[in-house]
Parts: sequence; C-alpha cells; structure tokens
Amino acid sequence: MLIDLDKCSGCYNCFLACRDEHYGNDFPPISSAQPFNGHFWMQIVERERGKYPKVKVSFIPKPCMHCDDPPCAGASANGAIYKRPDGIVIIDPEKSVGQKEILSSCPHRVIFWNEEKNIPQKCTLCAHLIDEGWQEPRCVEACPTGALLFGDLNDPGSEISKLWSSKKTEVLHPEFELKPRVKYIGIPKRFIAGTVYFKDRDACAENAKVTVTGRGKKQTVRTNNFGDFEFEGLGEGEDFTVKIENSGYTPQSFKVQTKLDVYLGEILLKRSSKK
Amino acid sequence: MGRSRPRRDASRPLTKCPRQDREEVLPLTEKGDPKQKDGNEKRIVKGLGFVGIAADANAVEVDVKNGKIIRINPLHYDRKYQPEEFNPWKIEARGKAFEPSMKSLIPPLSLGYKNRVYSPNRILYPLKRVDWNPEGNRNTENRGKSGYVRISWDEATDIIVSELKRIKQTYGMEAVFSQSDGHAETKTVHAAHGCHRKLLRLLGGFTLQTRNTDSWEGWVWGAKHVWGMENLGQMVPLTNAIQDVSENTDLILFWGCDPETTPWGWGGQLASRACYWFTELGIESIYICPDLNYGAAVHADKWIPIKPNTDAALQLAIAYVWITENLYDKSYIATHAIGFDKFEEYVMGKEEGIPKTPEWASPITGIPARTIKALARKWASKRTTIAHSNGGPFIRGPYSTEPARLEVLLLAMQGLGKPGRHQVKMTEWGLYHQQQRNPWPRPLFVPTLQAADRGWKYEDTPRQFIPKCLVHDAILNPPISWWGTTTLSRDPVEKQFVKSTYPVEGCPEIHMIWTDTPCLVTCWNDGNSILRAYRHPKIEFILAQHPWLENDCTFADIILPSNTKFETEDIGIDIFSGQFDAIFPEPKCIEPRGESKSDYEVVCTIAEKFGLLEEYTGGKSVEEWIKHGYETSGAADHISYEELKEKGYWIVPTDPNWKTHAPGMRDFVNDPEKHPLNTPSGKIEFYSERLAKHFPDDKERPPVPHWVPHGESHQESLYHPRAEKYPLLVCSNHPKWRVHAQHDDMTWLREIPTCKVKGPDGYFYEPLWIHPSDADKRAIRNRDVVMIFNERGTVLAGARVTERIIPGTVYIDHGARYDPIEPAEIDRGGAINTICPHHVTSKHATGQVASGFLVEVAKANLEELMKKFPDAFKRPYSEAAGLCLERVLDKDKRQ
Repeated sequence: MLIDLDKCSGCYNCFLACRDEHYGNDFPPISSAQPFNGHFWMQIVERERGKYPKVKVSFIPKPCMHCDDPPCAGASANGAIYKRPDGIVIIDPEKSVGQKEILSSCPHRVIFWNEEKNIPQKCTLCAHLIDEGWQEPRCVEACPTGALLFGDLNDPGSEISKLWSSKKTEVLHPEFELKPRVKYIGIPKRFIAGTVYFKDRDACAENAKVTVTGRGKKQTVRTNNFGDFEFEGLGEGEDFTVKIENSGYTPQSFKVQTKLDVYLGEILLKRSSKK
Repeated sequence: MGRSRPRRDASRPLTKCPRQDREEVLPLTEKGDPKQKDGNEKRIVKGLGFVGIAADANAVEVDVKNGKIIRINPLHYDRKYQPEEFNPWKIEARGKAFEPSMKSLIPPLSLGYKNRVYSPNRILYPLKRVDWNPEGNRNTENRGKSGYVRISWDEATDIIVSELKRIKQTYGMEAVFSQSDGHAETKTVHAAHGCHRKLLRLLGGFTLQTRNTDSWEGWVWGAKHVWGMENLGQMVPLTNAIQDVSENTDLILFWGCDPETTPWGWGGQLASRACYWFTELGIESIYICPDLNYGAAVHADKWIPIKPNTDAALQLAIAYVWITENLYDKSYIATHAIGFDKFEEYVMGKEEGIPKTPEWASPITGIPARTIKALARKWASKRTTIAHSNGGPFIRGPYSTEPARLEVLLLAMQGLGKPGRHQVKMTEWGLYHQQQRNPWPRPLFVPTLQAADRGWKYEDTPRQFIPKCLVHDAILNPPISWWGTTTLSRDPVEKQFVKSTYPVEGCPEIHMIWTDTPCLVTCWNDGNSILRAYRHPKIEFILAQHPWLENDCTFADIILPSNTKFETEDIGIDIFSGQFDAIFPEPKCIEPRGESKSDYEVVCTIAEKFGLLEEYTGGKSVEEWIKHGYETSGAADHISYEELKEKGYWIVPTDPNWKTHAPGMRDFVNDPEKHPLNTPSGKIEFYSERLAKHFPDDKERPPVPHWVPHGESHQESLYHPRAEKYPLLVCSNHPKWRVHAQHDDMTWLREIPTCKVKGPDGYFYEPLWIHPSDADKRAIRNRDVVMIFNERGTVLAGARVTERIIPGTVYIDHGARYDPIEPAEIDRGGAINTICPHHVTSKHATGQVASGFLVEVAKANLEELMKKFPDAFKRPYSEAAGLCLERVLDKDKRQ
C-alpha cells in the first residue's frame, strides 16, 4: 500500500471503513470481529503543526506495515502469525489466543488486544475481500481523494509498482529496518516560517530575501506579498540559521532548532542607519 | 505546584448503559464464510445524504446478509454500466484534466452509518412521560426532568387521537403546532419530515413552524437586496463555474467557508477533490475565518484569522484601499451597478466622520492593517473568486446581512462575472432540482421524486404560522409580529416587506406540538428559552416521533419510535454529488428495530384510528407510491422499471452539450440590460432604494451596508459593555462530525480526536477550541472540563487548547446532543445553541443568530456540580455512544 499524505484531508473514511468492515463481522480464517471500540487497525495520527497564525494539520493514516521481516511473527508461538505469499501479514485468530506479548513486539504499535476474545488483532489489508476478488481493501476503496493506493508489487506494470521505488516514497521509521510493505509520500518533516514587515512603513515586506542555512546546505526564498516565507521539508531536530535581508534595511538573523515546526512570528525590519 | 491532575473519576464511575443491543441485532457469534456466497446476501443501493427532502445524496451500496448489515460501500457507478453509457465529464484547464471518480465520494457520516442504525439511543417502542396525565395533572414544568414508561402502540395512538379531538373541540385545529421541517435521513415515501401535515389538514388544519434560512441568513436577508439572486441570495447561475475557475481564477478566498465539513452530509467529498485540483492548477487559496477550519488545515496557502462577525469591517477597509488607490473596475460599476456614490461616501467617512481605513479595521478584526492592505492589493491584481459552503462564521452572526451585502459589492468592484471572478458555492449542488445551482458539468436532466414524497410540501400554506427562530417568543410572550418569513423559507424578497403577526386574528394560540424535528434546542437560537416555552402550561401536549431519543424528544409527553431508511422499502435519487445524478429503488435491508415504524407508517397508524387511512394514503400502497415516483422522475424515458429494479440504480448521463452554457453571470456581464438581475434597478445596488423606502429608520440594516457592532437587537460585540463580563466571542460552525443534530451518537466518530474530549469523569464532552493564551489566563489545560456561560445559561465542554483559533475567541460546533444538568439552565452535552442570542438577525430581518456572541469560559468544578445535581450525573451513560435510551426510563421501571 502506498499512502500519499499530500492528498490526505483527514476525513477518517479509512478508519471508518475498517470499523464498518470488522465490527460485528467474523471472516475466518483471516480475522475475527473487532470489538465495539478502542481498536484502530487503521489509525490516523493527527498532528497540529506550527504556531498561530501559521498552522497546518498533518494526518498520517497508519495501518499494519506488513513488514517483510515482521517482528510480531518472531514473537508469536505456535505459528500464530504468518506472512502470505502476497505479502500480507496475518494473525491467526485461533492460534493466537492468549498471546498478549505479541503487542509489544511491534515497534509501530499497530496491534491491539481484544479483551473479550483474548486475542491480538490488526489490519489484514482486508485479505478476506482480496481473496474474494476485490481490487482494494475497504480503506482504499473509501478514500475519496486517492491518497491511498493498493496494488500488486509483483506486477511491474501496476501503478503502485511505478511509484514504489521512486524517490518520492519513504517509510515510517526506516530505523526499524523491517522492510514494510506500506510506504508513504510526503511524511511531514519540519518547517520554518515567518512574516516580515517594514517597521517604518508598516507594510508587509514583499520580496525580501530569506536564507536558511543548516547542515552545510543553504536555501533561499523570497517573501510573498504578505511578507510570508516558508521552508517546508526540513530535517527534525536540526540547527538552522535564518537570515532576512532587504536592501535599505538592517538584516535580521535567527538561530533556530527544529525540534518542532518553527514559526518565527512577525519579524520587523528597521531602516538601516545612513552611513 | 505539581501539574498532576486530581483523580476525580475513580470514586464516581458513571452508570453504564448497555453498549449496544447485541443480542437483538448484532449477533457477534454469527459466522460468515466470505468465499461462500450466501443465498441471502444482497447488495442494495441506498442514498445516505442527510438533507431530508426527497432529494438525496451520497449513494451507497449496502451489503446485507441474514438480516444484518455487513458493510456500507461507496456506489460504484460502473458496476452495472459501461462508463460510455453515462458519458463521464472531463474538465480541462491549464494543460491538466479533472475527472469524476467512478465511485461515490461518500463522507464518514455515511460510511459508518450502520453505527447509528444500531445505536443504543434508538427508541424501540412508544414511550409516555411518567407524570403526564391527559386526564389529570400534566406537570408540564417537569418536561426534561421526568422519566418515561413503555406503552403499547394501541395505548399511544388512543391517547393521541383523543387529545387531537379534544384540542380541536376546545380550541380549533390551529392550536396544533406542526414542527416538521429541517434535515434528516432523506427518504421519499417514508419521508422523515412532514408526514403528519396531511393528516392535520384532513382534520381541519394546523399552525406551521416555518423554517428560516438557517445556513444562509445573511445572504437571504441582506444580499438579496443587492443582487436579487432568488431564493437564497447566493450567486446563480453557478453553471460551469468550476470550469471557469479552473481556467481563469488566480485566487480563491474561502471566506468563512469550510469545504471539508459542510458539503459532507449534503453531497460528499467532491469539494475536497476540487480543492486539491485548484491547488494543482496553481490557484492560491486564502482562508479568512476565526478558526483554522478543516479545509484551511490542509488546503490553505494562507490563513487570515479574523475575529468572529467583524468581516464587515475588513470588507469596508478593502473597499477603502481600492477607492483610495484606484484599484477597482470603474467601468463595470458604471454599467452594472447603481448607488456607488453613497457607498463611497460611507467608506470615506463622509457619512459619520470615520473613514474605513485598514488602520480603523485592524483592532476591530484583529488583522494587522498591513495585511489588510496586502490582501486588498492582491485581490485587485488577481482574478479572484470567493468560495462558500454555507453555515460558516461569516453568515450566521448578529447583523449577518452586512457582510453578506458587502461581499457582493466587493465582488462587483472587481468585475463580478468576468472570467475567474465569481461567488462559488461548494455544496448543495442539487438544491431545488435546479440545474443552475450546479457549478459542475451538468447532467442531461435532474431527476425528481417529489410526486412520491409523502412529507411536507411547499404548498402547505396555512393561515397561521410561526418562524422557527421565534417559537420561544410566540409561546412565552404572545402576541408577536415580525417582518418577512411567511410559510416558506424560499419566500421571494418582496415578502420581506410584509409584516406578520401571531396569533392570527380568529386563530387560537398553540396548545399542542407535534414534532418530527425534535432538535430545536441544539440547532436554533436561544435554546434555553425554547425549553422554557416547551415547559409552559399552555402547551398541553407534546408529541414527538423520531428514531433516536435526543434533544427535544426528552421534553415530549408521548414519543413514538420511527425508524431508519434501512428498515423500509423506498426509492431515492442522488442529485447532490456533483459527479453524477442517479436514481435507485431502495429495498428494505433489515427488519424494523423493536416496534419502530417509518414516519409515514406512524402517521398511517394514527390516520387509521381516525378512519382516514384511505384519504391519507391517497389509496396507494407504499409500493405504488414508489412506482409512481419512478414514473414521474424523468428516468422512465430512459430505463424500464424492471431493469431499474434488476440493476439497482441508473445513472443520468452527462449532458453532451454541457460546455455550451455560459459560465456564472457571464450573460449579465455581457449585456446587463438584456439579462438584468432581480433587483428593482436590474443592477447591483450599492444603495437600496427599496430598503430606504420601507425601513427609513433602520440603523441595523440601512440602505448602504454598514459595520454594525451592536444595536437595538444585539449586544454581542467586544465594543459593548457586556464584553467586560463576557470577554470571549464564540465562533460556531456547522459541525464536522455531525449534520446539525444528526450523528452525535455514532460511537466510531466519537473516537476521533477532534470529535469529543473524554473528561476525567469518563464523559465524552463536546470540544471547545481555545487558544493557549486564553487558556493560560483561566488556568485551563488541555482536556479540562470547562463551563461556557453568559446570561442565557451554561454549557459544559472539554477544552482543546489549540493554535487553530484566533485569541479572544473560542470555537465550538453546534448540534451536540442536549444533556441537561438543570433543564433550560445548565447543559452537559455541549449544546451551545442553548445560550445563543435570543433575537433575530436584526429588527427587520427574521433570521437566526447562532455564531459570534459573547461568553466567558472557566474551568468547571465537576465535584461541586455532582454534589449539587446528583441525579443528572447518575443518569445511565454509554461511554461509546453517549446518551442512551435507558437514561430516561423511569427509575422504578428500569430493569
């Protein structure tokens, strides 16, 4: 599955479709019904980014990653977790009874415990439907914007195959090294933004030069007519220097750390003193 | 000081409701084999829009097996037809193409609707208020407090028949007040609203609750005086507006508009795709609103936060910049408008000595003057369109007539109707079955089922009526009079100069209410006053019919269980998607839950007791009405009834000539004399002679639109002394996870972080957005339970401390289910409309006010409240679904 976060509006259709499919419906031998609530086989990680009034919201739909090296399988006894030839990782609802330790084996935390049935449960990519001939799992089918893409990576002609190995795609937590079968486009990084204005004229500073320097790299943008600038896609937790220049005005410089997104607020430029 | 939270919840667990009637309706043990196609498995097409007038949306496929709903899917248009059979459209612009999806773009509200069908909040059998005795003491003051007991259908209908007869004999039939409008599941024969009107007509008449234009107030009461545009005051025709925007627009101002919210229940998520498309084309999106709404959160290139209900000041300052910098289309104004000189005088300060400069507007709006100037200059230099999707903060505040009018004037100053310059609506594309309200490539025709609709009719024009926003005064303080609003929310503008009175001479006051729209308390103005009216002794009998026990239902004396569209056979259309119009027979999916009946069947049952069944049904069975609907829908010329039933749906092909229709107001632009507007002059009226003539002394809606911070009708401004006590403004939009009052018990939606806030007491509170700076001042932390209050009452909510709101303003959706701690005083459910302003839009504009009003917010002391109101806090509660049927059953009768 490929998830294009640049097209995700946060409508939660994928989450709802998963609930709709799995609450009250058993699909042996693939899955047992979800409990009434508390399970998020398709979880949406919702994050507010920035500071007023430069705020955006990012949504990351997060199903089971269907890793090629699934640690959950290693943690399970009795062959309760297996990977199908098509790549889908399944927790057998009968063999997995009582195996609560499986939950903590997943670093992505996408396995949920069903108290009532005493079993661990997670996304099956609706394997029961795929086996019936459905083209897509419920979450993908319900996505109105095309942010979710499902297909056969073994078919080099499929749309997903073409995008899969392109530079645009990335994985969540590559450091886990689990070879996930779910990839992303547009995983939110960090932004540095600000609004520049000229103090003497009380006017938005259009076309001021803004340079951000960090990790030996330098990027430059010009402010727009509102005096706004933004650098998106910067690394997390890195140190940057932001420099704002406009002829006739004293340059301003800031040192920032991108632990979170950074909105520098309103930055006023003063007339440079005449020499 | 430690920052740890006191553990209030441990000692006081909530009384639990059963989570769901599992045994009865959702046997979890049922095993299904997906590989084994069960003979009973069916796929049924239904409409799951929530407009509620025989014109549905959000077509879905419902998979049903063994009498149980398995799943709800989008409708795949191409499942039974080849795409060429319905001629999919394609918009091409700037070297790119946009095409409809081959599946319906349903919202989560439809996708998870199974949840609502099986809600523990469903009313499963008739109920009677335990201390209401039609033969003796009616205890009307206990409405909202007393419990209910189960009674039989026979007993319930006996009481109803005898009460109707008594009221007719004592007062006359006009003493019966029909509340039967508004939104709901959209059904045709089994119409959710207004089925009882025909029976009341047969019995001799009724008094009508007339819907006001609740999502369009400012446009109807204001903009119509500027540009006509019957019946809403919003731009029509919208024909091919999306194509023109795609080709020509540089900048879209989403002004108080949330394209990721309001369109959902009405027609799904094409608006969302459109926003991504506009961005892909390089069109800039600027959102002007107090809250970073859900559209702004993902689509905005820039968010310009503005204090609620101050848009008029911003608009005037923009006009000031344009006038002083000579940045407007003077020749257009000369040929297409009148009265500009008077507007210019007001803007330049010649009328009252205050020029409407950006510096003047800045403290009012909270927007820096330099940003206002930059916006004005940008707008003037770019082909700009304004987008709306109803119901935002822009259009429902006090004096909403003013921003609505000013917006049209600004659009006119930049050549409204010229390429790329429109007012585009991102929702309600099938309204009134009119092609001209659809900005997308049009279908060959718009199907209709109005002939089969058994609900309310536009022809219902009884001699006595009460506007929905004046029900409280009509009951508590009669006689009352008002301007405009007769029996139709679609009244033409001329009706706004007509004064009406209640009670009408020769008519009685109302003494009985029959509602199939039991949500006035949480959807209209000053809900607490409405509740006081409901408890008045002169209201001798309140009868409610509804599928769910919520809101006004708990003030009724008899409650009849109606059911959902899954439990009946019907016929539907989808005309709001913007993608394709469709028609579909709607077979029954599951058996009615409990003893429920459809709204139509409820009235049939009562009609039968009066011996009026034959007259009421028109001698037709449900099946015959369904067929009649098909025959008169327009589809009969294209597909036989048998084939339609066999295939389950039919798609109306796109008009092959859709491109030939002039976009938007182009005809008016090209020849205003030949294509005049529906105003007295035929042009855009910066000064309304007609308003001047009829209401010469109106300071709240003068002939030239003004900035009106407060006045005779409203004192809801930070510039009014009331703000010392209530220093925060409320911004309240149409809800994200509901359609007005619908869907609040959808348990799965309630798990979404922006939907509810779980309090320390385990209760799911309605979220209140508050900026960190305002929260700090009040020692409020994220997830704290807070009180929102003013003179009209108190509402509890769960604090969501967020950067998504302008400081000095709090945000809360409207429509949460009412859960009184003390009826008409304190609400726990978050029904913010209980404390909305009492009065209508302005003196001569009879709209409602539901946003932009003053409150204060403080951390709630739950322990104190629990001590003071122990019963309210002990009521059974379902953690998953919130309120449930159990909570109102009389304690002694509870199992």
